[in-house]
Amino acid sequence: MKIPLYLAVAQWTLLFALGLLLIVVSRQLGRMLHKDHAAAPLGPAVGSKAASLEYSRFADDTVQYLTPGDGQPALLGFVEPTCPSCEQLVLALGTAEHTGELSGLRVLLLTSSPKSYLKVSDAFRATQLECGRILAPATTQAYGATSTPLLVAIDRDGVVRAAAPAIQLAEVRAFSRACLLPPNEGESIPIAAAAPPHENDLEAAAPAAGAD
Amino acid sequence: MDDVLVLCAKTALACLLIVAGGAKLSDPASFVSTVRLFIPLRIAWPWLSAIAVGVSLGELAVGLASLTLPAITALNALVFAIACAFVAASAMGYAFHRGRSCRCFGALSQRRFDAAGILRSAVIAGVAAVALAHVTAAALQLDTTTRMLLLAAAGLLALAAFTAARARSAGREPEPEVVAQ
Repeated sequence: MKIPLYLAVAQWTLLFALGLLLIVVSRQLGRMLHKDHAAAPLGPAVGSKAASLEYSRFADDTVQYLTPGDGQPALLGFVEPTCPSCEQLVLALGTAEHTGELSGLRVLLLTSSPKSYLKVSDAFRATQLECGRILAPATTQAYGATSTPLLVAIDRDGVVRAAAPAIQLAEVRAFSRACLLPPNEGESIPIAAAAPPHENDLEAAAPAAGAD
Repeated sequence: MDDVLVLCAKTALACLLIVAGGAKLSDPASFVSTVRLFIPLRIAWPWLSAIAVGVSLGELAVGLASLTLPAITALNALVFAIACAFVAASAMGYAFHRGRSCRCFGALSQRRFDAAGILRSAVIAGVAAVALAHVTAAALQLDTTTRMLLLAAAGLLALAAFTAARARSAGREPEPEVVAQ
């Protein structure tokens, strides 16, 4: 019985494709078995000193600096316009700001995307909150912003009081309270209640190490 | 020999579409953000999600059809048109969204919109053009059982791509940011 030429070619192509995918899965399994994923926590450690950062403010395209510990508590939101959960966080922050619950805090939205990307999101386009683009790659590393959304509460002494993914108004309120805590007093933020972070576009801009 | 080359091109493209579709379906939410880059209109999230799933299913369906129904020459033209669309998407991505992840193969790939991406798409379009060439009818004769077996194998390939993309997505390591000004 003669096998049609197409069938012979197709089965070898399918075999080749399946082999490639098998290699991908095997490599990934090997990585997962030998890597300690707990070594990469999300956000800076609570109780640590927050790092200084510089960013390009979208409102006037000027470079601004944030120096934690300058006497003003800060609430930092690491967000991306293309991340749906981040839109919810921006809306929640806007609501809290509108009702005066964030008074006394420096509220700052930080993104790795250029200003033009804000137009893809209604929430980002409409927000009155200060928003800027991170200028130094080291900033996202220092803040452990490996995924978005990430909310970081910093007290007036520049100490991180809470850091976790957050999207809801109740969580924003808890973070704002954490910012205003007196020194040496703890606050528990319901991290488990927070929404799972959306895949980060920060990492999309990174080199494709080990990809494909 | 010419027939072998054309059939290799045809089956390779069909497998490429099956793998791309299967991998994208493993994480449609992340592909939505790529779709969003190409739609300037304000569209509700469910619609964007539906478009992303539709594109993924479309790729998968064309790949399956192209592999199991080789005698239908119109499918070759359709695959070539899709390959041309890839080139157009790569060029637009390079022009307007340079450096952003294209998620062409879901979590299987972390390629971005760059010049090399346009070249890759052009190569795919070239291979699709090769697949347009005429092949003797005898080489394409398949009975129903063979078609079913090919369909099963193609389904297995899609499932493998889906699983591999899920595994890569689950074990993705955090990477440092590089700001492209």
